[in-house]
Amino acid sequence: MNKIIISFLLVIVSSPTIADLNIFACEPEWAALSQELGGDKLTVFSATTGLQDPHYIQARPSLIAKARRADLLVCTGAELESSWLPLLQRKAGNAAIQNGASGYFMATDYVALLDIPSSLDRSQGDVHAAGNPHIQTSPLNILQVAKVLSQRMQNIDTDNADFYQQRWQDFSQRWQTAIDNWQQQAEPLIGIPIVVQHNSWGYLFDWLRLKKIAVLEAKLGVTPTIEDLNKVLKQLKITPAKMVVHAAYQSPRATDWLVSKTGIRKVTLPFTVGGNDQSHDLFSLYDDTIQRLLDANK
Amino acid sequence: MKYINTLLALLIGVVLTVNTPVFADDISDLKAELAQMREEYENRINKLEQRLEQAETTQQQNQTDIARVSAQPISQAVKNSNSFNPAISMVLNGQFSDYSESDDDYELSGFALQGEGGLATEGFSLGESEITLSASVDQLFFGQATVALHDHDGDSEIETEEAFIETLGLSNGFTVRAGRFYSPIAYLNEKHTHSWNFADAPLIYRGLFGNQLSTDGLKLSYLLPTDLFIELGGSVGNGDQYPGSGEQSGIGDWLFYAKTGGDIGINHSWQASVSHWQTSPEDRKYDGGHDHGGGALDSVLFNGDTDISNISLIYKWAPNGNFKQQNITLLGEYFYLDEDGRLNNSAELASYDGKQYGGFVEGVYQFTQHWRTGLRYDRLGSDLRASDDELLTDAGLDFSGFNPQRYSLMLEWLPSEFSRIRAQINHDKSSSHKDNTEFFLQYTASIGAHRAHSF
Repeated sequence: MNKIIISFLLVIVSSPTIADLNIFACEPEWAALSQELGGDKLTVFSATTGLQDPHYIQARPSLIAKARRADLLVCTGAELESSWLPLLQRKAGNAAIQNGASGYFMATDYVALLDIPSSLDRSQGDVHAAGNPHIQTSPLNILQVAKVLSQRMQNIDTDNADFYQQRWQDFSQRWQTAIDNWQQQAEPLIGIPIVVQHNSWGYLFDWLRLKKIAVLEAKLGVTPTIEDLNKVLKQLKITPAKMVVHAAYQSPRATDWLVSKTGIRKVTLPFTVGGNDQSHDLFSLYDDTIQRLLDANK
Repeated sequence: MKYINTLLALLIGVVLTVNTPVFADDISDLKAELAQMREEYENRINKLEQRLEQAETTQQQNQTDIARVSAQPISQAVKNSNSFNPAISMVLNGQFSDYSESDDDYELSGFALQGEGGLATEGFSLGESEITLSASVDQLFFGQATVALHDHDGDSEIETEEAFIETLGLSNGFTVRAGRFYSPIAYLNEKHTHSWNFADAPLIYRGLFGNQLSTDGLKLSYLLPTDLFIELGGSVGNGDQYPGSGEQSGIGDWLFYAKTGGDIGINHSWQASVSHWQTSPEDRKYDGGHDHGGGALDSVLFNGDTDISNISLIYKWAPNGNFKQQNITLLGEYFYLDEDGRLNNSAELASYDGKQYGGFVEGVYQFTQHWRTGLRYDRLGSDLRASDDELLTDAGLDFSGFNPQRYSLMLEWLPSEFSRIRAQINHDKSSSHKDNTEFFLQYTASIGAHRAHSF
């Protein structure tokens, strides 16, 4: 019995002494970005996977335990995690990750957001007052966030500041080259008319200059009714679209309905790292996204 | 000669004027051809230029974008999401209830019903409308208050369900809470009734707490720095909340709890907890007291020690851990109350040893985004002994040892995250008299700030 108690105490005492910077990422894209910027100096945990809807997460015991030991929260912000992250902050008993603390990093604070609603009314669906939080669909946003995030890591973990600075420079170079390549690859897609299931692709569409001509979800986050879908169908008869896009974590029912009615091409995009097997890091996320769009455009 | 010259000049002039149109035709043809060719080339060049330009602008846009990113000053948040307004939300509730037996005759064998412990009013009734305000107080505290509006005997009443402040990140896993809060006993007790999975309280909650146990006092919790979630904590209160009673100086009730939980793979998560609550009620009154003909109600009172122990287990499943479409929740709780002391009324006194126990298991299955169904089974038991059985009878306590049982089935429609329509049917064998069939149709809607998704 004594042995058990002693080993139990040892676990308690020894666990917080791990020197690594503990990152609690709310979404896999920020886990991947942190990994790019911090390499083996970090212990990175992602609270969600690419197949989970980040709106609908519960403040599970496992997440509270992770938040307790986090040095840095790397999350999207803009209300995406507003139904569970504040609970984690309250229950974790961890001063480092409270609002405004050095370990509180919200990516959308550093990016100009699209789709800021002019009126707020829940009859319009689950409206995001702060704007569209899904900024990870454009690599330009990633670059912007990466720069600030690296700076934050340097401030928190001063011992390894040079290392983080080096990683950031290396990453930003590789990333800029990659952006050039992606844009060249995606040139045939410019102006292509596309239907989206959930209105979360604004940043991707702006970046690649794709044309969103219809949204299946008439109200944000609300499953479209048959009337909504028929309206889209009517619209597509006048202005046909090339493809319909939905994210891997979403139920494709509405998209499948449209495919069955029109024979339009269906594109399931990974949306974030881990959204499918091919998207195992940030680079492959965009490689795969563009490849899938190109394939559907053939 | 002069004439000849003039003539020559004239002739040349004529020839020239005659011949010029011939030359002019060819030239204009040539010109037109050239112009056409030029146009074609220009068109082609234009197209090429356009393509080139497009490529260049793409490149340029990219570079300016990147340049913009690189030039942007660091660590200056673009927006400040903090507004000083507290998050305000309100839950609206209403229901229609129908029972095969009258709600006035409702009894729970082996238990005394207190407060809101009975059945909801038959017919249409307005449930509790709750208003919750919460916000960070300052850098150290978070504050939250929930007041409930409900009707009681035709009057609207305001009840303070919770009102507390709590430390924000005291560090090292410690959190202190002060004020009124739902006691950290079991799993459901800490949740507001509108987030329960059924329209009514589990029978054991009804029997032991008059629906829910709350504490006016202090709570301390400590979260261990382990990967496995382990939280230890306790609370102290004034002890006047049922089944506590009386104005007690110092600490009137205390509670200790331990919680642990985690994930199994991506699809499964669980939590287990044990807790123990202790109080020493002074003159706790049983409402089941009988009129002894003299007019005034001669209530039976309890003085002694009350101990309640609980064990709870909850398991949740969702494919890929994505709760939006499908999920399953299984929950089981068991309570054991042990009381030792004496019962008395104005005339008699008896020693009393009471054990009341029981619990429930429930399973809820959300099979699509908008529909959920669930089953619940309640079972209670009791072993009540007094040196004078008459006092037990006077207190309205059935000491026959009958085991109350109840089966509940519910179906919910969830138009969105913010509204819910629920139908529920119970087969209730709460007392040995007669089985009751209870039917509820209920709406719950929340407006204002987004409800938190606690586990």
